Amino acid sequence: MTGRVIVITSGKGGVGKTTTSANIGTALAKSGYKVVLIDTDLGLRNLDLLLGLENRIVYTIVDVIEERCKLKQALVKDKKNPNLQLLAAAQTRDKTAVNAEQLKEICDILKEENDFVLVDCPAGIEQGFQNAVAGASEAIVVTTPEMSAIRDADRIIGLLATKEEITSVKLLLNRVRPNLIKSNEMMSVDDVVGILEIPLIGIIPEDTGIITSTNKGEPIVNDEEAMAGKAYRNVAERILGEEVPFLNLDEPRGIIAKLKSAISKLKVKV
Amino acid sequence: MLMEKSLVENGFIIDLTGAQNTSQLIYELSSIMEHPQVKGKNICLKLGKLELKQSQLLSIKALIESMDASIAFIDTTAEQTEASAMSLGIQLSTVSQEMSSSMEGINSKEISELAASQIKTEEVIIKTEDGIYDNHGEAKTIEIQADTGIQSGTIATTEGIDDIYDEITTQELTEVIPSEDYNTTDFGSVAAIEGLLPTEETSKYILLDTGNVLPEGIEENSANTEALPTLYINQTLRSGQTVSYEGNILIIGDAHPGSEIIAGGDITVWGILGGIAHAGNNGNITSKVRALKLNAIQLRIAGLYARRNDTLNVPYVQKSNEFTPEEALIENGKIVIYKKLRRD
Repeated sequence: MTGRVIVITSGKGGVGKTTTSANIGTALAKSGYKVVLIDTDLGLRNLDLLLGLENRIVYTIVDVIEERCKLKQALVKDKKNPNLQLLAAAQTRDKTAVNAEQLKEICDILKEENDFVLVDCPAGIEQGFQNAVAGASEAIVVTTPEMSAIRDADRIIGLLATKEEITSVKLLLNRVRPNLIKSNEMMSVDDVVGILEIPLIGIIPEDTGIITSTNKGEPIVNDEEAMAGKAYRNVAERILGEEVPFLNLDEPRGIIAKLKSAISKLKVKV
Repeated sequence: MLMEKSLVENGFIIDLTGAQNTSQLIYELSSIMEHPQVKGKNICLKLGKLELKQSQLLSIKALIESMDASIAFIDTTAEQTEASAMSLGIQLSTVSQEMSSSMEGINSKEISELAASQIKTEEVIIKTEDGIYDNHGEAKTIEIQADTGIQSGTIATTEGIDDIYDEITTQELTEVIPSEDYNTTDFGSVAAIEGLLPTEETSKYILLDTGNVLPEGIEENSANTEALPTLYINQTLRSGQTVSYEGNILIIGDAHPGSEIIAGGDITVWGILGGIAHAGNNGNITSKVRALKLNAIQLRIAGLYARRNDTLNVPYVQKSNEFTPEEALIENGKIVIYKKLRRD
C-alpha cells in the first residue's frame, strides 16, 4: 500500500496548522484509516499537547534520524484510536537538526504502511518549511480571513508551485465568523478564494470549544456537537474523495435550536 | 442505605442508577442535594447505564458545586458518560460496581426518601466507617439508626475488594501520609489506599512499555549517589532547555514542561518539576527524583520510564505554599512515589 503524504502549512503562525493536523488526523483515523502525524516544528512542538500524548513521548524524530531508536519505537499510539500514531518533534533541538532528504526518507517509509501521513509544518518559509514539504505530494494551506494571513498563504502557494512533487494544493479557511462577514467586517469565503485561486477543502467556523479542546488534549472532532468538529469531519471526508456540501454557518438555526441552547445555558447556571 | 460505603473521605456515594432519564436524575439529585449535610462533602455518583453528554454532566457537576459540594468521582457503565467525564476531568471508578453486587435493594427512590426524611447523615457515616475495611474480609453488620424504619443491612466485604486492598502495598503509590486536614488531602491517593479505585486510575505515574531503554554497554548498577559531585543551578528551566550532568543535579527554581533534566545521580528540584526528569541515566537504580511538587510529564529512573497519568494532565500547576515534597525511587521494579511530611 502506498499512502498519501499531505503537508499542512500556512506561512503565518497561529492560524491553526497544528489544530487542523490533529483534527483531520483524528477524523481520518476514526473512519478506519491508518494515519501517522509528523510534527516537524522542532523546538516548538505542540501537536503532542493537542492530542494529549505529551506524557507518552520517549523518542522523537531527531532520535530516529540520529539512529538512537527505530522508527517504529518513536511512533506514539493515540490514547483512543490505535489507527492514529504520532511522530513527535524534539523540543530541545532546532530546525537544523533535520534536513529535507531525511524527512523525505521518513515519509517514504511511513507511507508504505499507512493510508495517510500528515505533516504538520512550522510557521515560516525557512528550513522547517522546506523539510516539511520534502516528502509530501499534496498540501493543505491553512489561512484565516485576514489580510496578513492571506498574504503569507499566497507566498506559500507560490513556493509550493515550484515543487514538482506536490500535485495538489487545497485551501482551508479557518476561524470564519459568519456574523462579521455579514456586517462586512470580515472578508467572505468567496473573497479569499478569489484572491488565492486554489480549490477550497474546508471552512472552519470560529469556535471557543477549540480553546478547551486544546487545553485538554482532546481534538474537537471527538465532540459530536461542536460546529468546528463537524467542519473538520467534513474536511476529512473531502480528503477521502467524497462530495460534502460546505456547512451553512449562518447563525440563526431556527427557534428550536435557539431555545435548546438557551436551556442548556440555564442548566449550567443552576 | 444512602451512605452505603463512606470510603469517600468526607463524603458519600449517591446511587442514581434508578433514574430513567436525565431530568429524572437531576430531579432526584437535587432533592438529595438540598439536604444540609451535603455541604462541603465529596460525592461519588453512581450513574448506571444512563448516557450523558458532556453538557449534561457539566450541569450535574454545576448543580453539585452550587451546593458547596464536589464530585469526587462517578461510576458509570455508559460509554458516552465515561467519555464526557474524561473530557471534564472527572474521575471514574469501576470498583464500586463490584461492591454494589453485594448490596441489594438500593434504589434511588429510597435514597431520595431518605434524604427528605432528615436522616442524621453524620451518624450513618460514622457507623459505616466502623463497618468497612477490616482486612480479613469478614462480613460486617451495620445498623443504620434512622427514624424512617430502615432495617439493619449487611455488607459483606467482597473478596475482590480485599485483593485490591492487599495489593496496595506493591502498587506505585505505596505510601501516602494523609495530612491532618482532609480538605487538602489528595483524594486519589486516599481512594487508592481504601482500594476504592483501581491502580490504573489512581497511580500518579504509569510505567511505559518501552522495553530496555538503556543504551548498549550500560549496565544496571547501584552506586552510591551521595559520593557523586552535584551541579547547582540557580534558575528556572524553560521549555526546550536541557541540563545534563554525570553527577547529581540540584535546581533552585522550577523546571517547566518541555524541559529535560538528565543526571547520572539524583535530581532535586526546589520548586515545581514539570518537565522530563531522568535520574541515574547511566543505569544507577538507586537514584531518586525529588521535588517540592512532582508533576513531571515523565519520570525516568535508570531504565524505567513512567508517564504521568492522563487524568492528571494539567498543563500548569498553581503555585502554592502548601506543597508536600515528594520523592520518586525504584522499588520492586516499579517507580514509587513517597510523599514526605514537612518536618517543622
